[in-house]
Amino acid sequence: METLLAFLTIFTQPELLLLVGLGTFAGVYVGAIPGLSVTMAVSILISFTFSWPVYPAIALMIGIYMGGVYGGSRTAILLNIPGAPSAIATAMDGYPMAQRGEAGEAIGITTVMSFLGGFVGIAVLALAAPYVSDFALTFQPRDYMLLAVLGILLVGSLSSGSLIKGIFAGALGLVIGCVGMDPLTFDERFTFGVPLLQSGISFIAVMIGMFGVSEALLQLHHLQAPVVRQKIDRIVPHWSSLRRHLPLSLQSSTIGVLIGALPGTGGDIAALMAYDHAKRVTRNPSRSFGTGAIEGLVAPESANNAAVGGAFIPMMTLGIPGDAVTAIMIGALYIHGLNPGPMLMVDQPGMFWFIVGALVMANVFILIFGLTGIRIFTKIVEIPRAFLIPLILLLSIVGAYAVNNAVTDVYWMLGFGLLGYFMRHYGYPLGPVILGVILSRLLDDNWRRAIISERGDLGAFFGGLFSSPLSTVLLLVIVAIFVSQTPLPRLLAARLHRHRAA
Amino acid sequence: MQQQDRGDADHHDGTADAAPGGYGDRRRPGELAFALTMVAGSAVLVWNAYGISGFSSMSSAGAVPLALTAVMALSALVIALQTLRRRRVATETLVRDILPPMVIVLGLGLLAFGLLLEPLGFVPTAALFLVGAIRILARCRWRVALSVGLGSLLVIWLVFRLVFTVLLPPGLLPEAELIGALRALMGGA
Amino acid sequence: MKTFLAGLALLAVTTTAALAADDFPKKEIQGVIQWGAGGSTDTVMRAVTPHAAEALGGSIVMQNKTGGVGAIALRYVQSQKADGYTLLMGAENPQMYKVLGLGSEDYNDMIPINVLARGVPMFVANNDAPYSTMSEFVDYAKAHPGEVRVGSTGPGGLTSIVLAMLTSQVDIEFTRVPYDGDGPALTALQGGALDVMPVVLGAGIEAVKAGRMKVIGLVDVAENPLLPGVEPITKSFPGFANYLPWGPFFGVFVKKGTPAPVVEKLQAAFAEGAQNPDFQKLMKDRGFIVMSLAGDQAMEFLDSYRSTSSWLVHDAGFAKKSPEEFGIPKP
Repeated sequence: METLLAFLTIFTQPELLLLVGLGTFAGVYVGAIPGLSVTMAVSILISFTFSWPVYPAIALMIGIYMGGVYGGSRTAILLNIPGAPSAIATAMDGYPMAQRGEAGEAIGITTVMSFLGGFVGIAVLALAAPYVSDFALTFQPRDYMLLAVLGILLVGSLSSGSLIKGIFAGALGLVIGCVGMDPLTFDERFTFGVPLLQSGISFIAVMIGMFGVSEALLQLHHLQAPVVRQKIDRIVPHWSSLRRHLPLSLQSSTIGVLIGALPGTGGDIAALMAYDHAKRVTRNPSRSFGTGAIEGLVAPESANNAAVGGAFIPMMTLGIPGDAVTAIMIGALYIHGLNPGPMLMVDQPGMFWFIVGALVMANVFILIFGLTGIRIFTKIVEIPRAFLIPLILLLSIVGAYAVNNAVTDVYWMLGFGLLGYFMRHYGYPLGPVILGVILSRLLDDNWRRAIISERGDLGAFFGGLFSSPLSTVLLLVIVAIFVSQTPLPRLLAARLHRHRAA
Repeated sequence: MQQQDRGDADHHDGTADAAPGGYGDRRRPGELAFALTMVAGSAVLVWNAYGISGFSSMSSAGAVPLALTAVMALSALVIALQTLRRRRVATETLVRDILPPMVIVLGLGLLAFGLLLEPLGFVPTAALFLVGAIRILARCRWRVALSVGLGSLLVIWLVFRLVFTVLLPPGLLPEAELIGALRALMGGA
Repeated sequence: MKTFLAGLALLAVTTTAALAADDFPKKEIQGVIQWGAGGSTDTVMRAVTPHAAEALGGSIVMQNKTGGVGAIALRYVQSQKADGYTLLMGAENPQMYKVLGLGSEDYNDMIPINVLARGVPMFVANNDAPYSTMSEFVDYAKAHPGEVRVGSTGPGGLTSIVLAMLTSQVDIEFTRVPYDGDGPALTALQGGALDVMPVVLGAGIEAVKAGRMKVIGLVDVAENPLLPGVEPITKSFPGFANYLPWGPFFGVFVKKGTPAPVVEKLQAAFAEGAQNPDFQKLMKDRGFIVMSLAGDQAMEFLDSYRSTSSWLVHDAGFAKKSPEEFGIPKP
């Protein structure tokens, strides 16, 4: 009974409802603008809501968080510039749709799928949080490393052109992630003795440069090209279309919740994994992937919003942040006099159910704000490029600076923008670079931890792969994907076959 | 649709990521130079990675970087060799298809932005860049470029500086004093 | 002419200094937080600063500038004008920069505005570990050399120094698994990837209360109200008394050369901010001891922290440079 009351708090107090709505609305824009991030917004809200009671403060933050994760898809679809890391996969099929004048339809399906994914995440949080967090705790460094390897295999599906160029791009991304002072041993890596490089290369700066700046420069090639008129008569997707994509959406949401619940991995990796999953399980996509397949939107958008609920799981049950935003929210709870940790659920179950209620409400607001006001958004694409390009470039610069308040990141961003420009011209895929940067620390840190834990004994390390069921399962998945996805085994088989024939 | 069959002007239909530009069987102007640069760059990185901790142990800070840079260098080498074997696209030139003057101009503009950002401060640099770029790209009147450029700069500045309190390099403009005065005015009123 | 110009310049300097003190702050102050959003330094600073700003009658805008174990933020503040408009909000790390070769400046090259609080370290262990006190742990580790996996947060971090204290008393060996912060390491401890972890009390207290891990030792000279029944480490290892009380801390600093009246205003503001009951409660709940030191007392604390830690690190053999080089006296 009490839990029900706590859950309903949000719906019975118009003021809180308003704050969630306001937060979600603002979040959609924060997420959509490449330079603004949810992390930044929530961090600022701490000072802003300092003197407020705890419920309104949390309500506003949750709205921003939910809205922001969803909002990243907007610019990804309309401009091919993901507003947030979790929307990288969305751009791959969303932008081609916008180029065909189907931006309205793309945004519509994205909204509904975000809503669905969000609900799956919240449902798992509400019903199974303690079990999921216990499961997440069983992940050992070795398992995180295997997860990173699994992620790296996505290079295959992210580079449809030349695989070898994809591998190069992926390795480049992983190396970019290593730059700076190593957080484990404080050794300097790739800093060339320059102190400013110690802080490493911000992943957001790489993303803004590679996608924002290089896209803007590329658009200069067709300054005079006519603007694509967007059909916006069909925004709410057909029921039949929804039913067809429901299984994929649910599968992707499951990926999203699990990856979101693991401390150290979040919506960005989840969305890319879900995209890869969609590519593998969809037999007859509406169009081939990369040219505007609806499935290419369904999977990542379900997954990244499901990851929000997932990220709250370790936060609420253990006081361990599931991602950067929940880390800040834990700080906010402390400042408001609460003690987030395993006891929070015991001492103050009301807080937990209030958060669940606020998440539900934010999710509903996504549906409302997502399906209305699309007309204004699509107008962005109809602004003449001569005005749009300089603005995108300026926003990219401000955004890169804002990440760590450092001019160094602006230089990196511009450098990667230029590199990305040439890479696009010469057929190198950019997705694997970002994938590499995201996975770099996960791979490197956990590889070292795993080896050190076995005291440098490689035999024990490989033994561990088979003695732990979790590791074995992960290993099997990796082998299965490797065999089915990459051309290498097929080439080997073909060669063997020829050998025998000869 | 095969990549090489696309008819668009820059061999790039905008689906940049999933289907990157370029041709499957021929090389574009400058592609070989780019591939060779990547080989050289990767080689430098391999050397640098070796310098972190050598071959000391599997779990050292340099182990993973060394392996990664090796993959980079190897794949760059394979790509360069593949590119070398390909025929050049006869119909394209570097200046027209890869680096048209407009891209160079805007690239230089960005470089200038980066260099002037700290000494001059964000607001003046951004104003120069925005107005200049719009004027050049849109070939519109100064009046239009000035009003659109400064207007949008004001909005961006308000959002980032006031709402998100991102302290952009102030440079010449006494921003903090300005805001202080503004606050005092609002508070006093 | 030259003397006239020089005089003019001098006049300008003195008047601006006087003015700066009189109506300080006449613009917003920038607070540079050394660690990322959501970390403990970030939380503490965001909790105290609004109260201090109110006492000061101005606004303080906080931003996170991470990297180089905090050295990037310190260098940034030192590169700004010494006018009190740029504050460094940091943790204990800079006091080790010199011996670890991470930077050429530390807090002794700055003016402390307020050393807010100090933490108490403790040893926590996985619930399944076959030891529950420090002496049992030491006996076990002696019997199984190298088998105990201990979380470590980088050279010069809290774990490295507390372990150096321990290994200076007893001859034991561990496997040190590196983590980038105590949060991830404690998560790993709960999942069984680590056996033992020295950690600041506040970071682990909630998990301990919930029975997700156990405390095996309190690195202090007296019992702690948050951990009733856990005896201080000096009971079993009296040698620790040489180093204790010792603990990580949080503080606010300005560049040397900041006009004295400005420093005094800031010190008064932060001292008042630290007295705020909300802040006091937050710190108490997280197991931090509020000190709110300024002036000579703060310098004394900083010196003592630096000399204890630097020599421990040096004697344990992972210092890049000897503390002697920087004139850091032996404790």
